[in-house]
Amino acid sequence: MTTQPIFIPVILGTPRQGRMSEPVAKFVVEQVAKRDGVETELIDIRNIPLPTSDEGESIKDPKFSETMMRADALIIVVPEYNHGYPGLLKHLLDTNLKEYIHKAVGICGVSAGPFGGTRVIQSLLPVMRELGLVNIFWDGNFSNVHNIFDQSGKLLDEAYIRRLDKFLQELVWMAKVLRYGRENIASE
Amino acid sequence: MPAEPMTCPKCGIQMNHHADKLDSTSTAALAEPDAVNLELGGILNEVHTCPSCKTIEIRRAT
Ligand SMILES: Cc1cc2nc3c(=O)[nH]c(=O)nc-3n(C[C@H](O)[C@H](O)[C@H](O)COP(=O)(O)O)c2cc1C
Repeated sequence: MTTQPIFIPVILGTPRQGRMSEPVAKFVVEQVAKRDGVETELIDIRNIPLPTSDEGESIKDPKFSETMMRADALIIVVPEYNHGYPGLLKHLLDTNLKEYIHKAVGICGVSAGPFGGTRVIQSLLPVMRELGLVNIFWDGNFSNVHNIFDQSGKLLDEAYIRRLDKFLQELVWMAKVLRYGRENIASE
Repeated sequence: MPAEPMTCPKCGIQMNHHADKLDSTSTAALAEPDAVNLELGGILNEVHTCPSCKTIEIRRAT
């Protein structure tokens, strides 16, 4: 089995000014980076130039595609907007396909309310499936997000570290299994 | 039946065909009506990954 590190980029899925998903995404990147044999980077949706005059693979951003090609798994940090996901996130995800197939994905939902983005996570699951991504059965739920971080973005509730550890443990396992499969197990 | 192996365009080694993905969008079907597999309801594509450099290629099912 290949010994290359597992690469798990984290997508920050909203461009909103004042977004609270940003400290969440930075916290997630920090936790992923702490794991042995795992590399990560933050993909800020604000930094990906996408036209809004078209949709799909014809408007691929080469750098984003290259990162998705290299990824073994993805983490999507997504705020809940009217019980759904930000349109720009879907616009971005739809620009690739082959890059995602048989790769693991974990979703961290962010909400101002008490449900930790569970509704946005549920609405993203079928999209992940159609993109060929493999959902794990752990989620990150960041409820009442304004109370989780201080003004400087410092985490105030250490329980999130332990919860995210379980999420990452499962994601890394799935990423390794799927990488082995992509590289070694032929479709029959 | 296993697909004809693909050769990695970057490093020249044999790629692994690990998935078949159905494109059931109407845009694909309109662009290539002859490629539509009527039984499956879309255009069938093969996904191949290079075990060495991670390049991924997709092509019409052979
Ligand atoms: C357009 C919009 C719709 C929203 N809808 C919901 C919602 O349905 N449920 C919820 O708990 N919070 C909702 N919120 C609040 C966000 O969850 C909140 O802003 C949270 O901090 C995460 O989003 P952010 O990263 O943009 O800050 C909404 C916010 C916006 C901007």
